[in-house]
Amino acid sequence: MLYREAGQFKTSYSADQSIFPIRQDRIALVLFGLVAVLAVPALASNYFLETIFVPFLVFAMAAIGLNILTGYCGQLSLGTGGFMACGAFFSYKLAIAFPDLHIIVVFLLAGFGTAAVGVLFGVPSLRIKGFYLAVATLAAQFFLVWVFNKFGWWTNYSPSGVISAPPREIFPGFAVTGAQADPITKYLFLLAFVALLALMAKNLVRSSIGRSWMAIRDMDIAAEIIGIRPLWAKLSAFAVSSFYIGIAGALWAFVYTGSVEALAFQIDRSFQVLFMVIIGGLGSILGSFLGAAFIVLLPILLNNAPGLLGLRISVELISHLEFMIFGGLIIFFLIVEPHGLARLWQIGKEKLRLWPFPY
Amino acid sequence: MSYGEKHIGETLLKVDNITLAFGGVKALSDISFEIRKHEILAIIGPNGAGKTSMLNVINGFYHPQQGRIEFRGVERRAMRPHLAARQGIARTFQNVALFKGMSTLDNIMTGRTLKMKSNIFQQAIYWGANQREEIAHREVVEKIIDFLEIEAIRKTPVGRLPYGLQKRVELARALAMEPDLLLLDEPMAGMNVEEKEDMCRFVLDVNDEFGTTIALIEHDMGVVMDISDRVVVLDYGRKLADGTPAVVRANQDVIDAYLGVSH
Repeated sequence: MLYREAGQFKTSYSADQSIFPIRQDRIALVLFGLVAVLAVPALASNYFLETIFVPFLVFAMAAIGLNILTGYCGQLSLGTGGFMACGAFFSYKLAIAFPDLHIIVVFLLAGFGTAAVGVLFGVPSLRIKGFYLAVATLAAQFFLVWVFNKFGWWTNYSPSGVISAPPREIFPGFAVTGAQADPITKYLFLLAFVALLALMAKNLVRSSIGRSWMAIRDMDIAAEIIGIRPLWAKLSAFAVSSFYIGIAGALWAFVYTGSVEALAFQIDRSFQVLFMVIIGGLGSILGSFLGAAFIVLLPILLNNAPGLLGLRISVELISHLEFMIFGGLIIFFLIVEPHGLARLWQIGKEKLRLWPFPY
Repeated sequence: MSYGEKHIGETLLKVDNITLAFGGVKALSDISFEIRKHEILAIIGPNGAGKTSMLNVINGFYHPQQGRIEFRGVERRAMRPHLAARQGIARTFQNVALFKGMSTLDNIMTGRTLKMKSNIFQQAIYWGANQREEIAHREVVEKIIDFLEIEAIRKTPVGRLPYGLQKRVELARALAMEPDLLLLDEPMAGMNVEEKEDMCRFVLDVNDEFGTTIALIEHDMGVVMDISDRVVVLDYGRKLADGTPAVVRANQDVIDAYLGVSH
């Protein structure tokens, strides 16, 4: 009964084209924002902020990036980890070389650098599609990680190959990276940064460039016939996607783990982000967040569930069970709703609009 | 609205001695005809006659081994489909080629892509120049939606629409490009009589109101004879006849091709 749009008439195209055309959605968004900004930092412990909210936001950013490429433009990529590594190492080198550069500028520049790398590895997409392209992006994954491991220049010749992110402040007195950074500051910075970039991603996908991507995804021949250049559409998708993934990698290294190492960006990272996108929903910005939440939260939940239920199970068994249940749930979700959590959310809203009537 | 007094202008597109072969198979041999401004030209012929290949050549999908194509009096060089679109050639497909994951509105909006000028950063920010542009193009698209009477399915994903409506959305997307030359590949295939009548009405209205030149492939001879100004008949990749419906109907080669002939 609460979720009804009856009586909300739109009198302009700008109102009809807004991201949240229904009033109840806007109210919910404001409430959600208030919870995220006020309640979460006040209630969550530092441990929860560091292990749940910070990685969730970083992964959400990476998932948005991959979703633009795979979900919107239909180009399957397994190079996410490699591109995240690019972002991490680019921002490390930039931050060391230009200590006075503001950290946001460092992240953005690292994003642009990764975008250039992404375009380079996106070139094969002009000739190959689907699984073949996935294998080509796999080359990017292994090559990039190899480059960062092989050449000591990237780690400033640190003997272990692991370097800690230099401390930087977002405003004077508010450190977001380095050992002294306060988890609440980190969280709020990430929240604002990711929300802003997610909004920009949403704007892109509802504008003409986003429609070009989707046109290429759905039927590339028909897209070409109406004047969309496949070259431009695919490479721009690679660029924008890599921009987001690069920034996610930089955030991962600087804000989440605090250390820059190529080992964190192996192939399993690529798969992890791909699962987020598939479970969250291909071709949905909201789905990127839902998928990231699912993949970040579920292992923690599974890990703690036996303890909360009062069961005494050995640690090894828990971690094995975690893998099994996790895999089972992924398969279950894919069978029940192949379009992901975002579609479930949409169906739920449709049902709510009609409630108490079935249709 | 009277269709009698329309003025067919000079040549818009001229096809000259086109030969197209796939390996040893000659899809088109030595075809020449012209499409004149403001006319409705029907391309007919039995299955495998090379009609769709002809459209694909005009469109830039296929590259003929021989022959030349002049568009607006200028000879074309190597053509790609997106370049043809840029020149003002729009097209619909025999099997509906819509973007299944997008709504009707978004499908038609993609037709405006070439006319949109805001860059990627303006689009990321959205508000301002990009929003003004989106709204301006939305207005044009809404006019086309009204014209083709598909208001009710604006927000519906096209994958859910029945076939007849999908064909109409595809026509809408082609119209959104404001083309000079509209190529329709069997726009009435698989439709019932009512849907065919609707489609004929739209084709005639487009031709009449926007002055769009239309070249269409159609198998329904009743439709062809009724709405086209001129007919080109192809058979086995050769041109059999070219002229007004009445002339073509009387042509002995055409009768032989369609009815068969004793050897």
